[in-house]
Amino acid sequence: MIQQTSDKKWFDQLVMELRLRQVHGSAIGDTVASAKELLRDTGQPAEEAFGPARDYAEALELPSAPKHDWIRTALWPATLGLLAFLLFNQAVVPWTRSELLLVSPAQLAFLATPVVLIAFLPLYLDAIIRRIWACVGLSGIGALSGLLSAVAAPENPADAWLAIEPLPWLIASALVMVAFSIRNTIQAARTTGHDDITDPSAATAGGTGTGMKVFVQVTNWLFPILALAMLGLTLALR
Amino acid sequence: MDVSTSAPHVAGSVDWPSDWLRATLGFLCLRALSAGPSYGYAIISDLESHGFGTIKGGTLYPLLTRYETAGLVTTEWRAGDGGPGRKYFALTETGRTELTRLSADWLRFTDATTRYLDRPTMEGPA
Repeated sequence: MIQQTSDKKWFDQLVMELRLRQVHGSAIGDTVASAKELLRDTGQPAEEAFGPARDYAEALELPSAPKHDWIRTALWPATLGLLAFLLFNQAVVPWTRSELLLVSPAQLAFLATPVVLIAFLPLYLDAIIRRIWACVGLSGIGALSGLLSAVAAPENPADAWLAIEPLPWLIASALVMVAFSIRNTIQAARTTGHDDITDPSAATAGGTGTGMKVFVQVTNWLFPILALAMLGLTLALR
Repeated sequence: MDVSTSAPHVAGSVDWPSDWLRATLGFLCLRALSAGPSYGYAIISDLESHGFGTIKGGTLYPLLTRYETAGLVTTEWRAGDGGPGRKYFALTETGRTELTRLSADWLRFTDATTRYLDRPTMEGPA
């Protein structure tokens, strides 16, 4: 039982390390299946047979996608989607109250913090995935900056650095969110199952489950869904 | 290749210096595949039974993966008997040529080494 648990942890780490190296899903499935095959034959724990998962992943030197391909395909759309969502949140309350959108420099800085954290993710992604405390810390900074941006919001136009009509920003940010969601949905439909981890040793190939497909679509439409919820909440509390 | 058909165990020869194994493991693995396609555990067992000690999966698979990338071996998953399948490695023509070349080089190298070690020792300065 203990060996099964430690082996599961080892395989989880191996998959994570190979994913971090942008190894294709089919190659990861092949690596995992061949390692399990040997462990079944020898009865050894994974760590004893293959050494640390990180070292083994490195030693395999498997072909990988260009290192920064995911930045273009996933990170920039996510960053722009988040930026649009934050703008929408700032504009929705003054719009429902028929007020101007008031902005202070401190508020802008706090709002920019989570966007900057995500934009620079490639510099420290490996570190936060390998260390849960770093991941929790960065999430905390993002959440705290969101709260502080509300605190730093100016009370009246005299205190504001900018006083602008909220409706154009509301419409523009909503359009950006919907545009990125449509783009992500089309991209997900084109590449469904393309990079799944498949087990070549199994008699039948497992497809992408319905639950996973629904999860992917919800993720693609996360910002518009949250923005709609925010709009509903604001209208209800008006 | 089958584990049960491997040659008798060579006793007392499992503690080779790791440098020696590192240098020779590549073509030893190619040699283990020369009789036909084989899988990870069978290759390890074959090498162990011929006195090379127990090669770990963490050493064997990266080597075979590099050889696959270099076109020296090909791989194929074959269905198991009621269980999960096995990954078989097979020598390509390039791999067979490389094995022949490396084997000849190794024999020349060991021959030169043996002759050097066997030469008469000089007893002090002349």
